[in-house]
Amino acid sequence: MLFTWFILAGLIVLFAPQNITNKFQFAFARVFRCPLSIGRSISLSLPVQQPLTNGISRREYNQLQNHLANVTEQLNLKHKELEDLSGMRIRLPLAGARLLPAGVIRASTRGLQSELIINRGRSDGLAKGQFVLGDNSIIGTICDVANREARVRLFTDPASRIEVKIPRLDVVRLMQGNGSNSAKIPMVSAIDYNIKVGDKVFARSKPGLLGTPIIIGTVAECRKDDKKPLLWDITIKPACDLERLEDVAVVIMNP
Amino acid sequence: MRWLRFAVLLCLVTVLQAGLLAHLENRPDLLLILLVFFAVYYTTPEAIITSFIIGFAADIIVIGSAMGPQIISFGLFGTLLAYLNRVIAIRRMPYQAVAIFVTGLLTGAGAHLLASLKGQAPTPNMYTVLFTSSLYSAIIGPFLFLPSAWWMRIKTHRFSRY
Repeated sequence: MLFTWFILAGLIVLFAPQNITNKFQFAFARVFRCPLSIGRSISLSLPVQQPLTNGISRREYNQLQNHLANVTEQLNLKHKELEDLSGMRIRLPLAGARLLPAGVIRASTRGLQSELIINRGRSDGLAKGQFVLGDNSIIGTICDVANREARVRLFTDPASRIEVKIPRLDVVRLMQGNGSNSAKIPMVSAIDYNIKVGDKVFARSKPGLLGTPIIIGTVAECRKDDKKPLLWDITIKPACDLERLEDVAVVIMNP
Repeated sequence: MRWLRFAVLLCLVTVLQAGLLAHLENRPDLLLILLVFFAVYYTTPEAIITSFIIGFAADIIVIGSAMGPQIISFGLFGTLLAYLNRVIAIRRMPYQAVAIFVTGLLTGAGAHLLASLKGQAPTPNMYTVLFTSSLYSAIIGPFLFLPSAWWMRIKTHRFSRY
């Protein structure tokens, strides 16, 4: 009898609308926010052997900073020239966007779901579909929003589909996550395109959600597909370390 | 059954599973270990109640997923294990490890089947994750029974079939 009642309760929960049942899950994340964050901090502080190539010298860092400053100034100059020539006021792509910083409560970057739970929600202006940045690169999109928390589906999640572009070859495809901290770009012809390891991959701009293409990752592996030799099997690795992210920024266009 | 102690233990295990272990690629399922522990060392009605409550905890830690599959799956297989325990004693550690492994596979497969009924898309490496998670749980599970028994103030040689 006890078993029957519990099974009945389970079935009611199973067939209840997901926006109602999600409230329990977000409530858990809210109530246990502190211990969950502490647990994550402990796991991040565990010693991990970092490859030496991750570090750069101060000289190289200064060179990159100088290069960035020069490129930014050249961009501003060209932008001003364009405005003068066209006689119209043109906004830079992300000038009207608001980057809302958010802390990561919980992260799951491997396994069946690759996701982050962040401490911003509907009350902060978050909505489904908005892009999320980590270390200045796209890491995923908002897929569930509660009042004060939201779930970010990382682009490495098997359910994620993001339109991307490889600018060097002008290839536009739908990138799919594969659940092991990487993603795949399918249906790229091995005859027409010469894809190389290290090629940059950008998330395509999307009206109302992303004003300009932003880097999402790089080609980590590229080989002929065993089943379809005329196509590439392209593996994309994230442009930032998804496992060790502590803060992210949500792109809110035209707030 | 000390229900307050059970609630504290469940909260601790749920937070550990969702926080500390969440970023590991191959991780044991602490809630599964807890399920087998209560099915083995407690009476059948207590095992049924705890199985469904642990299933609820397993459902709420995965935000965005459908709720209900783990409740039903944990409840169903936890109950079956409790009844099986009345017939076949699961006292020795190797038997407990086998029980955890098999229960892990069955609850995982059952939960995914129920989730697919609700329209949730299956993930490509689902069975690999399920297998490794069950295996790791089976390896460390019997050792975690000892601190759990200490916390619940029971003696591990106590064995209830009713």
